[in-house]
Amino acid sequence: MKFAERFAGLIGVVLFLGLWEIAARFGWRNPAIMPAPSQAVWMALATIPPLTLIEHVAISLWRILAGFALGASAGVALGIAAGWYRPVALISRPFVEILRPIPPLAWIPIAIVWFGLGEPSKIFVIFLGTFFPVFTSATRGMASIHPSILRAARTMDVDGVRLLAKVAVPAAMPDIATGLRIGFGLGFGVLVAAELIAAGRGMGHLVMEARQLGQLGISVFGIFLIGLVNLVADQQLAAAIRRTVGRWHRF
Amino acid sequence: MRSRLAEWLVPIGALALFLALWEFAAAAGWLRPIQFPPPSKLARTAVTLAFDGFPEGITLWVHAGITIQRILAGHILAVALAVPLGLLTGSRPLLDQMTAPIVAFCRSVATLSLLPLAIVWFGTGEGAKIFLIGYGCFWVMFSSSIAAVKLVDPVLIRAARTMDADEKTIFRQVILPASLPRLLSGARVALGVGFMVIVGAEMIGTIRGLGSLIMEARTFYRTDITMVGMLCIGAFGLCVMFALARIEAWLVPWQAKQEAQQQ
Repeated sequence: MKFAERFAGLIGVVLFLGLWEIAARFGWRNPAIMPAPSQAVWMALATIPPLTLIEHVAISLWRILAGFALGASAGVALGIAAGWYRPVALISRPFVEILRPIPPLAWIPIAIVWFGLGEPSKIFVIFLGTFFPVFTSATRGMASIHPSILRAARTMDVDGVRLLAKVAVPAAMPDIATGLRIGFGLGFGVLVAAELIAAGRGMGHLVMEARQLGQLGISVFGIFLIGLVNLVADQQLAAAIRRTVGRWHRF
Repeated sequence: MRSRLAEWLVPIGALALFLALWEFAAAAGWLRPIQFPPPSKLARTAVTLAFDGFPEGITLWVHAGITIQRILAGHILAVALAVPLGLLTGSRPLLDQMTAPIVAFCRSVATLSLLPLAIVWFGTGEGAKIFLIGYGCFWVMFSSSIAAVKLVDPVLIRAARTMDADEKTIFRQVILPASLPRLLSGARVALGVGFMVIVGAEMIGTIRGLGSLIMEARTFYRTDITMVGMLCIGAFGLCVMFALARIEAWLVPWQAKQEAQQQ
């Protein structure tokens, strides 16, 4: 059953790529408008040295990891604090409610004003893209802990910081984990956009630059690359979550 | 009673204190006005934007109107395509298995990375923006339509079969109403994606729309306009989402009741 499913998926992918290949080669016949998959890969590998390609991927990955690490840790810490201590919740609420609905991409111009065109502005925008979903799910996770868990712990004389660290935070973990994955996906989309608009390196820049040079095949290759890197990174994140949080929770 | 009062007073007080500190720091010259224009300046800018407009006299309302037009065009197109295709894919297991990797991949492709393709295919005008919004909305809507069909309670379908209903009737009378709540919430999520994409799409090749307003203002060193524009996009998105949630609750009241019971 599992094998049959994978096999069907494989056939679907081959069919899709095959149809695209045929349509591009015999329908459009113009790789400047609709490159076939094989043409895209060939063109990219022939024009770009492998080392440069690795550099583009590496710089994008570094940006996303830096922004995600900052946004996730700030989101988890503040979200837990807001879910546990009422004053924190009350004070942070107006700021979060005003800033959260602003799409992360709308921060790009102001990030450039604040941090210039270099790395910090991109990392800041990814930070924001990650922070809000993580914060929201951490707060929700803390709020939806079953009260009897907390009461049971209190009867066993667990209180204060220990109650928070040993009981409440683990109980909120599944929600936090979901938030982390949503935050990563959002951060990745934001990264590509930030690189399109203002960057000299990175996968988003690769895609945009190729268009200006009229090499659409390389753009298509870059888009493949972006999808692949995001898919792999998301699966790694999911696996890491299953290894850690999954020990005491089922997903 | 006291705690209810605190619930309102503390957040408002915190916000007021923050704005007052900001204003004071700007007046004292600690903050550079080009990076952090004071709140009073933002308020004046908001009024100017609403009546005089920027750039070339395009007011805030026109920008907002154009942005919502683009989002709706892309969103409606995507939903119209994705719902029938998704319902079909969801009800045919083989088709679902064959398309699953493609759907996962296309969802992982950051929508805005398609910008170069969109420009080549549709030019820098409206077409490219609607295409990008459509792409972002389509995959969200498509996968939630597939899930909507797959998650219909099989007992309902079996019950209909025992009552001798044919496949067409089952689809129309059982599967469609049972998947409607998930379709609606999928459409709402897709609209949220549209909001996300439009801001990026408008940053290139246009001077109309909220996304271009904030980008254009930056090139003129008008940080105040950028900030007011950002707040408007946020407020605007919030209003639309709120309205949609209300419409959803009104259209499928049975779902809201079910969720309340589960909690």
